[in-house]
Amino acid sequence: MAMERVLEVRDLELHYFTRKGVVRAVDKITFDVRQGETLGVVGESGCGKTTMGTALLNMPTPPGRIVGGQILLDGLDILKISEQEIRRRVRWESISMVFQGAMNCLTPVYTIEKQMKETLQQHREMSKEEARTRMKNYLNMVGLADDVLQRYPHELSGGMKQRVVIAMALFLEPRVVICDEPTTALDVVVQAQVINLLKDLKSQVNLSFIFITHDLSIEAEVSDRIMVMYAGQIAELGTSDQIFGPQGPAHPYTQRLLAATPLLHKEVTELAFIPGTPPDLVDPPSGCRFHPRCHVVMDRCLKDEVPLREIEPDHMVACWRCFHE
Amino acid sequence: MSEPILVAENLTKWFPVKRSVGQVLRGNRTWVRAVDGVSFSIEKGEIFGLVGESGCGKTTTGKLIMKLLEITDGRLYVSGEDVTHVRGRALEKHRRAVQMIFQDPYSSMNPRFTIRDVLMEPLEIHKVGKDMKEREAWVREILNEVKLSPPEEFLVRHPHMLSGGQRQRAATARTLMLNPSVIVADEPVSMIDLSTRAEILHMMRQLQRELGLTYIYVTHDLSTARYFTDRLAVMYLGKIIEMGPSGTVIDRCLHPYTQALIGAVCEPVSGKVNQVKDVPIKGEIPAATNIPPGCRFHPRCLYAIPECWEEVEPKLVDIGGGHMVACRRHEEIERVGAAARTSEASLGIRRATRIS
Amino acid sequence: MKGARFDQLRTFWAEFRRVKSGLVGLALLGVFILIVLLAPWLSPYSQADKRWRDMTYWIDSPRDARPLWVNWFTSRKYTETQTINAASSKETITGSGSSTMRIEEMEFPYQYKAGYPPNDIMIKLGVTGRSSYEVLIVRPDGKQMSYRGSTTIEGAQVVRLSVVETLASRVYAALAPSEDPAFAAQKDPTQIDPMSALFAKAQPGVFTNPVNVPGTYTVKVKLALIGPDAKLDTSQVLVMGGVSGILGTDDGKRDLWSGVVAGTKWALLLGLLTSLISVAVGVIYGVASGYFGGWIDALMNRIYEVFTSIPLLPILIVMSAVFKPSIWIMILVMCVFFWTGPVKTVRSIALQIKENAYIEAARGLGASHGRILFRHLVPQLLPFAFASMALSVPGAIVTESSLSLIGLGDATVVTWGQILRDAFGSGAVLKGVWWWVVPPGLAIAVMGMTFAFIGFAMDTILNPRLKTR
Repeated sequence: MAMERVLEVRDLELHYFTRKGVVRAVDKITFDVRQGETLGVVGESGCGKTTMGTALLNMPTPPGRIVGGQILLDGLDILKISEQEIRRRVRWESISMVFQGAMNCLTPVYTIEKQMKETLQQHREMSKEEARTRMKNYLNMVGLADDVLQRYPHELSGGMKQRVVIAMALFLEPRVVICDEPTTALDVVVQAQVINLLKDLKSQVNLSFIFITHDLSIEAEVSDRIMVMYAGQIAELGTSDQIFGPQGPAHPYTQRLLAATPLLHKEVTELAFIPGTPPDLVDPPSGCRFHPRCHVVMDRCLKDEVPLREIEPDHMVACWRCFHE
Repeated sequence: MSEPILVAENLTKWFPVKRSVGQVLRGNRTWVRAVDGVSFSIEKGEIFGLVGESGCGKTTTGKLIMKLLEITDGRLYVSGEDVTHVRGRALEKHRRAVQMIFQDPYSSMNPRFTIRDVLMEPLEIHKVGKDMKEREAWVREILNEVKLSPPEEFLVRHPHMLSGGQRQRAATARTLMLNPSVIVADEPVSMIDLSTRAEILHMMRQLQRELGLTYIYVTHDLSTARYFTDRLAVMYLGKIIEMGPSGTVIDRCLHPYTQALIGAVCEPVSGKVNQVKDVPIKGEIPAATNIPPGCRFHPRCLYAIPECWEEVEPKLVDIGGGHMVACRRHEEIERVGAAARTSEASLGIRRATRIS
Repeated sequence: MKGARFDQLRTFWAEFRRVKSGLVGLALLGVFILIVLLAPWLSPYSQADKRWRDMTYWIDSPRDARPLWVNWFTSRKYTETQTINAASSKETITGSGSSTMRIEEMEFPYQYKAGYPPNDIMIKLGVTGRSSYEVLIVRPDGKQMSYRGSTTIEGAQVVRLSVVETLASRVYAALAPSEDPAFAAQKDPTQIDPMSALFAKAQPGVFTNPVNVPGTYTVKVKLALIGPDAKLDTSQVLVMGGVSGILGTDDGKRDLWSGVVAGTKWALLLGLLTSLISVAVGVIYGVASGYFGGWIDALMNRIYEVFTSIPLLPILIVMSAVFKPSIWIMILVMCVFFWTGPVKTVRSIALQIKENAYIEAARGLGASHGRILFRHLVPQLLPFAFASMALSVPGAIVTESSLSLIGLGDATVVTWGQILRDAFGSGAVLKGVWWWVVPPGLAIAVMGMTFAFIGFAMDTILNPRLKTR
């Protein structure tokens, strides 16, 4: 899988400066996104996955601030260039995002056409006809009919709105699309349809997705590689087969999460769970951040901070148990 | 099993739609048929699941059982007594017998209350306990019961100082304060992190065994429903379309809608990335103001034949082993399904084209 | 539980402290409350509140005197008000038994320095029994004027001889010879200003263009007490200056500072009571309307609309004409109209809160509507209620003032509006008696501002719609 790297993130750090103290929401994260792949980011609420998503667009939500690291998009460090430059060249042009609950981001008083055109015209000089053709193309691509353009958001169902938002994230032909919980608010059937749409898009257009969700099952459906986050750090990063395959994941956190997910076609009498709650990121635990909740904790886990190391090709883990030293 | 503790007979809830002056004058009256004739009976000590998509009427059914909403038609019996239109004393008794856990643990407790206030409230309302001391002792006992210990630490906290899991434990504690026999749990874990979800369900099941509770588990999540419930009813547009033991309903589902729902479920299993999910359904869910004639699922059904919309709606029929389905063509579907299972064909082949 | 409430209060205070206008408002409120509490010590006339309209209570103070501090800003000073006691007295007794007669001779020297002459000089004699007296005013240049009188009845009485009222013709008689004869002949004795003339140099122009002469002016009193029981109780000469008290006096001789102090109490009472009652009613009404919904809400909305569309002022005018104007009736009527203020906002907040699952949870537990309203909904609206209470205080005060101004106020109490009305009634503005109009007006404005500041500050912190965090 030696593919071109579209996005390289190096030691990215984002802190929230709150009254309670500095929340280290994203703490020195390093990963790549390859051309044409879907990278799944999974973790519990508060693990920093959404924060990381907004950081990749270099638009952290206040009081958050990116305090270190690099985000190289096709080799260009977007943390080094001006906000104006980012707006002109980066955001939406080469990296776009489908926000959590994005279907509620549509303004109720404008037609879909008007809202889409606005985004389009901010970036491209285009005649009316050209713009319209393009909008229709992309709507068709996400499985919507042309007449959606003339409709108002409230006339569309949740699934249709989500498709519109996805179309809007695509139509400037970015290199990377970040999807933050794009299916969470949707019903099961609609969710499956949107997942099918994303799979379809991936085979049609050669772009990379970052798919953020709390649901491991959805990652299994869409992501080529999975990145498991815990308390602002990467716990495990591996291919879909490495995580969901018969051999199972390497990190105890991922193992437990997977064991806690009920399976539909299997009679399970007892599900696993992880005792305790995620740590406070103002004052995270020493050593491995997962150690207070870990069922295979060792002495070393309490003292030494654990690095992310490759234990087999494409499979990185941050767990002392997994390093055979 | 023992005799049923809760029986719903043709339970119906229609909400009137706000009308314009013109509509009032013309005498037009439209209704949202949120629950449109639902019948089931639940044994004591059973966990009964109500599943379906949003707007299918599962939460409304839960609220009808709670009597938070006035029942439009049909009958509701709890422990053999007709509680359909009870008022006053009898309603008070019903309130004590049937409790509810709400979906959102963040908004189900008054943010200004401490956990102590929250748990005391039911006791104050029903004037349970002789004095504060006795009530307080009871509160502590229940907190221990839901594993929020030591109680002293939690009594003084406000809901927002608890994690999602702890909050849902506190919410469960509140339902237990009055020694209920039936608890309606409306999506109790959908807003809780995966890592603690199982812990909550585990606790709920333990309580059920210890205290002999009966649960009605309302959810959209088939996977947890399979894990948690004994029996399952699948609702579509205000009606139960399939019902039976959870394993049977999920593994051998016969209604085309249940099949679509199950096909749509994602599972953490490898090798699905490049496969398109098979969701055998078309179109979108119609509005509950305008329920299609005949079988209400026919416009979205891949198996639909003219009888489905020309003739009356199929009734729930028992096809053995307590498995009930409301589909005219369930026998044909079962044959194809059995054939598909034996040939180990993927779900993708089980299509309408194979039947007709 | 207590700790948590206390914590809430502390966070509230921490936030409040950051709103500067709120702090100013709070400080001003503190000042007003202090004024009310310390009124007996602050006001030189302790019964000002009860006897504001009792003219005898004010008889010994100057009329139309300016505030004392006016002298700080003028080059020509106004005379200060002072009381002069007898500097020397002599007693002679003649006769005996029932024909005993005692003669008291007293001298009251008054050092007149410079500047405007006093507004008036009053000789005050408290006498029991029959007497006859002679009052003699001796100027430094020897010119004098006298007045004779007597008391004839038994029992105690007070004789007040005012130069302006009683001795004006004597002053004219004494000084007319010095004036230009031609002018003196045509000048009507009642047209002269006796006080200016009394302290003026005896030369032509003494009436028209007086030149004040500093020096010792002596009031000599010779009093014959007739009979064995007759006696002299008090004897004083009151120099009624051009300045008096912190805020001067009005043309009814009333001390305006005492009036403003006494009015503070009523303003606070009226403002707070009206806003308390009306906001309490409004909040409960709004909550109930939002919570119950349906036809109850619709009906309550219509009632609300009826009340908001009735103009308040005409109603109050009619009410005041029908009933005897009383401050309590005024408060009542204002409450009847002011309760509509918070209703709409409260209703919309209640509509939001009632969607929370915990309201449904409480219903599921069997809580009564009353319990849900007062235990779950109203406590969340308290912050808003306090804010809107503060904001509706100025309205009540201003309304009362306006009513008083047009003559429909409660005349038995001293309110700022009443003082203003008296001022306008006697043409204070036309006569330039600014110290009668400005202080009560300013007090109304500052009181309004106080509560507006506090209200805005609370609003910024507590109003969910303005909350940015």
